[in-house]
Amino acid sequence: MDEAVPETQAAVSDGASQPYARPVTIVETQALTQRFGPTVALDALDLEMQPGVTGLVGANGAGKTTLLNAMLGLRIPTSGSVTVMGFDPQKAGHRLRAMVGFAPERNVLPDEMRAVDFVRHLAEVQGLPRGEARNRASDSLWLVGLGEERTRTLGTMSTGQRQRVKLAQAIASDPKLVLLDEPTDGLDPVQRSEMLTLIGQISRDFSMSVVLSSHVLEEVERICDHVVALDAGRLVACGPIGDLIGAGDGITLELVDVAEPAGSVEAVESALRSGGLDVQRTETTLRLRGADFDELCDRARDAVATAGARVRRLETRRRTLEDLFEDAPR
Amino acid sequence: MTDPTPAAPAAGDTADTADTADTARIIDQGYRSYDGPRSGLPGAMRSVVRFSVRHTLGLGRSARHKILPWLAVVIALVPAVVFVGLAVVLDIDMIADEILPDYHEYYDFIGFALLFYCGIVVPDILVADRRNGMLQMYLSTPLQRWSYLLSKGLAVGLTLAVLTVGPVLFLLVARTIEGSGPGGLTEWITVFVRIIAGGVAISAAFSAASLAAASLTDRRVFATIGVVALLWGSGGLTVALVDVADMSERLYAFDLGGIADELKNRIYGVEGLDPFGDPEVPEGESLPGAGRAHLSTLFVVAANCAWVALGSAVVWWRYRRLALSR
Repeated sequence: MDEAVPETQAAVSDGASQPYARPVTIVETQALTQRFGPTVALDALDLEMQPGVTGLVGANGAGKTTLLNAMLGLRIPTSGSVTVMGFDPQKAGHRLRAMVGFAPERNVLPDEMRAVDFVRHLAEVQGLPRGEARNRASDSLWLVGLGEERTRTLGTMSTGQRQRVKLAQAIASDPKLVLLDEPTDGLDPVQRSEMLTLIGQISRDFSMSVVLSSHVLEEVERICDHVVALDAGRLVACGPIGDLIGAGDGITLELVDVAEPAGSVEAVESALRSGGLDVQRTETTLRLRGADFDELCDRARDAVATAGARVRRLETRRRTLEDLFEDAPR
Repeated sequence: MTDPTPAAPAAGDTADTADTADTARIIDQGYRSYDGPRSGLPGAMRSVVRFSVRHTLGLGRSARHKILPWLAVVIALVPAVVFVGLAVVLDIDMIADEILPDYHEYYDFIGFALLFYCGIVVPDILVADRRNGMLQMYLSTPLQRWSYLLSKGLAVGLTLAVLTVGPVLFLLVARTIEGSGPGGLTEWITVFVRIIAGGVAISAAFSAASLAAASLTDRRVFATIGVVALLWGSGGLTVALVDVADMSERLYAFDLGGIADELKNRIYGVEGLDPFGDPEVPEGESLPGAGRAHLSTLFVVAANCAWVALGSAVVWWRYRRLALSR
């Protein structure tokens, strides 16, 4: 029996007997640059996003919202190009946006509108027939957990509920791609966790690709398949999250700061450096890289024994998104 | 909530059972994929026009949002109801002819309602979207800036037409029923077309001016001041320049209300002022704005088109420059 090919993948024949599936790029930019006067919001970005959940990470002001706006065709790039699902947002923006759901960061919504009316109206504007928009508005609000609250006005809703309403309107028209700009902004930890679970569910169960912008790295690590990391408009990293983080990245050695022998921490650090290892020290904690795990442990053991130091903690270090930013050239 | 899933009919079941299984369906499937038709840009524009008309008239909103638009409608409609009521109650044809204003004269009673509506109600149609985030939501759909603005313009024009066409149509119907309406079908249709055309002409000029004022500020009160300044201020200034300072009568083109009213008069086949009740004017003097009668119809049409084009250009200029967010 043939394996089902996901909608977001294309079966391509390599000329041999077996077809294979390769990911289709949903977003591609080439030297995308956006300037606001002297400020460079996006600096010659070359990136690709694949189907699934993509995390767009970076500090506030890194260019995440600007990139989302460029993907929607809401801003004309200063130079370079962006292609979303094969469309140029500047030339075929209306056709592209009919297939894209968007939840903006801005938390200002029309206070007097009922949630269901808000979602229904925007579903209609997205092109759904009136009856279908009405049904899907209710279904979307039920899906995000606001079924019982759907007739409340937006002005009476909490921040968490309004974020859910924005998510509901983004998915009501069954888009192929959903762009969520800081969807967990203003949420408490429990709401944040629920929202992330919901976003993961939407992508998994309804085959929607999601681009999620966030400045909280843990969120992206938790649910995203791919990562685009931005720093001051520059691309820091781009690719499958499994390739970028999680792999062993040296060890962490924490020593006890003892009075006798004096300078034991410095002695350990010096010994390891002279052995050719990459050592980063933060007070009494040493981050060691430059060899495989076993060799790092052996060398650490020897250095500690020689210096007469005492070990408080020795553990494998996992590479995180934070490391991507720390290692980025400045 | 779903209906119980029917069991698959076993071999040898009756045809009735098989029919039941074929027609059984899930009533509520919850959120699911959609692969039906999509209406694209025309559907998006229709939706915005419909929503904006309802929003402007306060339909589907709380009572306080209904007060101002419907007050304007009442102000425009009440004189027509009173005139028709008096004529019907008195039931004397001669008095009816004296009491009931002619169709083009009725616009004298709509003026304040128009000013009220354009100044207070219309600005909200653009200002609210910029303030409450709906503009960014709209522009992330198939709508573009031009199609969004066109939809909003149509919505304003349609709601304004409720004021400029509605009461006069009511007058036509009432006079027809009362027996003092146009004689014959051809004349009736002519009057009907004039009412529609006159109402649309005034709506177009006033819509463009109101939207232009509303596009330039995020504060409703400033938009209101701008609309009043355009509608009243331009009239006062122009009359002062032409009638008092004796400057060229072509300056009447800058009197938005006056030039729109003049176009309406030309549509009704009247040139210059023809106010209801024929107020007495001292010998050797004339009513302010009477000089509009000397303008050619082509000039009047062009001036109105220029107002619509200018208002539209201001709105487009403003929205092309409008940054949604960074």
